[in-house]
Amino acid sequence: MNLQTLLYIGGRLIKGVIILLIIAVFNFFLIRAAPGDPAKVMAGEAGATDEVFLQQLREQFGLDQPLYYQLWVYISNLLHFDMGMSYRQNIPVFDLIMDRLPATLLLTGTAFLLSIALGVLAGVIASVNYKKWVDSLITILSLIFYATPLFWLAIMASLFFSVYLGWLPGFGMETVGVELSGWDRVIDIALHLVLPATTLGLFFTAVYARMTRTSMIETSRLDFVKTAIAKGMTPSRVTRKHVLRNALLPVITLAGIQAGQLIGGAVLTETVFAWPGIGRLMFEALFQRDYNLLLGVFFISSAMVVLFNLITDVIYCVVDPRIELSK
Amino acid sequence: MNIIKTLSQNKVAMVGFFVLAIFCLIAAFGPLLYDGSPWKMVQRPFLPPFENSNYLLGTDTLGRDVLAGLIYGTRISLLVGLVSTLIALLIGIPLGAYAGYFGGWVDELLMRFTEIFQTVPSFALAIVIVAIFEPSVYSITSAIAIVSWPPVARLVRGEFMSLRSQEYVLAAKLNGQTHRNIIMREILPNSLSPIIVLASLMVATAILLESSLSFLGLGDPEIMSWGYMIGAAKTVVRQAWWLSFIPGLAIALTVLSLNLLGEGLNEALNPKMSGKREN
Amino acid sequence: MKKISVGASVACLVLAANVYAAEPKDGGAINVVVQPEPPSLMIGMYSNGTTQQVGGNIFEGLLRYDKELNPHPLLAKSWENSEDGKTWTFHLEKDVLWHDGKPFTSADVVFSVDKMLRKTNARLRTSLEFVESISAPDDYTVVFKLNKPFGPFIRLFEVGTMPMYPKHIYAGTDYKINPANQHPIGTGPFKFVEWKKGSYIHLTKNDHYHVSGLPHINDLYWHVIPDAASRAVAFETGKIDVLPGGSVENFDVPRLTELDNTCVTTDGWEFFSPHSLLWLNNRQGPMADKRFRQAVMYAMDREFAKNVLWNGFGKVANGPVGSKTKFYDKSLPNYEYDPAKAKKLLKEMGYDGTPVRLLPMPYGETWQRWAEVVKQNLEEVGIKTKMVSTDVAGWNQKVADWDYDISFTYLYQYGDPALGVSRNYISSNISKGSSWNNVEGYENAQVDKLFAEAAVAFPDSKRQELYSKVQRQLVEDVPVAWLMELEFPTIYNCKVQNLIDSGIGINDAFGTAWIKQ
Repeated sequence: MNLQTLLYIGGRLIKGVIILLIIAVFNFFLIRAAPGDPAKVMAGEAGATDEVFLQQLREQFGLDQPLYYQLWVYISNLLHFDMGMSYRQNIPVFDLIMDRLPATLLLTGTAFLLSIALGVLAGVIASVNYKKWVDSLITILSLIFYATPLFWLAIMASLFFSVYLGWLPGFGMETVGVELSGWDRVIDIALHLVLPATTLGLFFTAVYARMTRTSMIETSRLDFVKTAIAKGMTPSRVTRKHVLRNALLPVITLAGIQAGQLIGGAVLTETVFAWPGIGRLMFEALFQRDYNLLLGVFFISSAMVVLFNLITDVIYCVVDPRIELSK
Repeated sequence: MNIIKTLSQNKVAMVGFFVLAIFCLIAAFGPLLYDGSPWKMVQRPFLPPFENSNYLLGTDTLGRDVLAGLIYGTRISLLVGLVSTLIALLIGIPLGAYAGYFGGWVDELLMRFTEIFQTVPSFALAIVIVAIFEPSVYSITSAIAIVSWPPVARLVRGEFMSLRSQEYVLAAKLNGQTHRNIIMREILPNSLSPIIVLASLMVATAILLESSLSFLGLGDPEIMSWGYMIGAAKTVVRQAWWLSFIPGLAIALTVLSLNLLGEGLNEALNPKMSGKREN
Repeated sequence: MKKISVGASVACLVLAANVYAAEPKDGGAINVVVQPEPPSLMIGMYSNGTTQQVGGNIFEGLLRYDKELNPHPLLAKSWENSEDGKTWTFHLEKDVLWHDGKPFTSADVVFSVDKMLRKTNARLRTSLEFVESISAPDDYTVVFKLNKPFGPFIRLFEVGTMPMYPKHIYAGTDYKINPANQHPIGTGPFKFVEWKKGSYIHLTKNDHYHVSGLPHINDLYWHVIPDAASRAVAFETGKIDVLPGGSVENFDVPRLTELDNTCVTTDGWEFFSPHSLLWLNNRQGPMADKRFRQAVMYAMDREFAKNVLWNGFGKVANGPVGSKTKFYDKSLPNYEYDPAKAKKLLKEMGYDGTPVRLLPMPYGETWQRWAEVVKQNLEEVGIKTKMVSTDVAGWNQKVADWDYDISFTYLYQYGDPALGVSRNYISSNISKGSSWNNVEGYENAQVDKLFAEAAVAFPDSKRQELYSKVQRQLVEDVPVAWLMELEFPTIYNCKVQNLIDSGIGINDAFGTAWIKQ
């Protein structure tokens, strides 16, 4: 890695921080545009309340202050790495997020790796066997998984494998009420992970498979590939050395996008499988108008996107040297 | 002409085209043939399909005609899918093209802008938008469009970045062609195939997204859509699997046919793949 | 006049006769669903349903109530009322310990009611206006002096309304942010162990519980499972033993109750008696006309809703007071399903087809379906209805700002019209900004007067007379369109014995429950 690259990365990181702040402001106003406020929700759920209680809650949350002041407080706290308190749970937002983050990263990370590995593999196999039955099979399967609503697939999978067959646990991340440790715990979590990670991953597997296949086929028609074949390179070497390398460009773009969505992308899966992750935390925070918590989750996921966009660009450059990183 | 000819020779694509055409016809004329509201409770709840010839696909949890729901739902599902994708393309392609072609500060600016939209988790952003503006066809379509365009922009930008150093682009530049011409005539046609593939996927994604929003209770309460039907049937999926299966099948079929057509178009549009370039 | 002294001599916690002949066994764990995840376990500070469910097993009130809403001893072993009905004396149990080992005394009672709950519990605050003073003559006696013989006073001691807090922890602190709120200390049968947010709440047996021999259960796990279908699956696979009322979708109830070894009961809601109704915005549009409101009543097929949406559980409501609540008048007329009559009334008033907005309750599938049914019912008699969709926050905002035409809701009755009914109809309770008062904007001086008199009338026969009068008046005026007295069946694994044991059901169920091996 040369100095230029390092400078580039440094510059990107600074810009990233600025972006994150813009986003925080943007989100701040976006969320405030929603009808109702956290006090209303909490009072509403409570089933009985009066104006005194609402006012108490608002004072407690600092929501009685003018909006610009609230924004200033929020941003200045953020600059001190303080994301505030969750209104509803009365716990620092950072703690809540850190409590849930590992679960989500485990789920989406597994699904991500699974879908990339399976998807690219399937795409390559299909393209190498272009227009043969393997190709058709992979294409049909990926079309089906692509066309099936994720939550529906999740419910069906849970019904079939958990209720009907009883093979796998259908909800949660761990068996509760049993104290497990060491390998027993790892196995327990792994078993709980199978259904959600698979259903979550299948959709993207299908996307990657299609993307890779299309891209591979296209690239193999390009002139430089023909040249390579004409020069006498073996087809498998051409596939590995030239076609795959170039065909992966759109896949990398997509992977960068998906990676950025790792945190927030699992709301549905987490809901159906009761996975105690951050996607659900965000969904709940949204409906409870727990502004700080919601902004906190958005902030963390923003940071992820900034990071992954950078990584994507760097990888892009490594794979395709024709692209210059910086001016 | 050439494109249509090539396309019409592609049997798989034609299957997709015909299925889609049937759905479009249903969307256009179905509600005219089927009078009466799809919300009307007409029979006992949970009537299984093919038991009563008046209500061929049975009834739902409240005794409403499933077939009527399907017919009315076709219109809205297709509309939400197409319109939101169109909006997304209209935002995403120009942004991506300019960013990728010009690079430098233009790229910087546009990509930072794109990043803002990508940074907020897209599904959550969609939920926020729908929640703020209250669930309606308009808020749902806009929300889907707003969260769908960044991938288009990034894809187009990636293509443009990789293509702008190609010999034929450099040649065009040396010939003194305008940027506009180079973007529209030289680069865009060559990057169309992944855009088409993505767009066909996006219509499908939009339809799926709409149903996901409904699943979470964020559908338009005034309009019968497939997404609504699945959402409403999700709690009874074990007593009456067909209630989610049927609209699910409709979605799957639409998505499938869209993809087949998209792929056919891809092959027909892309001269490098049609094999006719050498002739 | 009969003598008002309702003491109980034996500290008998088991209210209903134990129908199971088998001897209760100690041990085991029970897994319960908690939906939605509560904001806090501080019962009396948060009146959310699930706060009560979990918190009611950690904290205790002075009394418990059986399914007929009669008071029974708990932290107070006996009590008496003076002849004029204005002085109530409670004698506390001795040897009661807080979960941190400190003794529970009358000082805790005075502090909880006079200081803390006045601040934290809006619902109780209104009732405490009838309380002139609270004093503790000795460590185990508490005296409440009322300014009027407030009829429902004896029904205020339920754990969700008047829980006892430890004075040594809360005195002099900011109650809302006291760190103990995260680790609640009560006197109840279970102690707080851990709350893994988004996952489960773990309570464990209180070994020093003041009722000897209880509780039987060692551990109590409350599981957060946000998806209704997953909750059903969890019950079927045996991971969950108890599904509290309302925690699975109604459509799943018949299937679940048919499973092997599954018990179901609708008991345990008597104290709350949830009463569902449509708020009709009396201030504006056609809803201002009594004939329109009556037409709405005739237009709705409430039996259909009951049978299709609520599996036949519950009862069509024919007035403002629930049939399980005190002072319900059996002789009230009912509005039958009669679309023709509805059409006639609409024609009579000259309804011009002005569309009305219908706001469903954002509490899940059943409520959404119900709104669809009502919309269809209304459209069939010619009322143009536009469904508005919104979430919990939006719903509260709209209702509190009176920005609606017709809105679904349900209200708890708390056993007595003065506690849970009058709040929805008296004009002094019209106040923008809250979603749980007289939101419909009904104003009737006669009704105001009757409710005010009935609350402090003495004795009960006098109250009955006044409440019957006001019920008749309301049924004629239809300020709101009553839907149903809801029943939320509790579904549980039959191995759990003696589960629902009081009028608040699951909220204080686990102190007496046990597991059949």
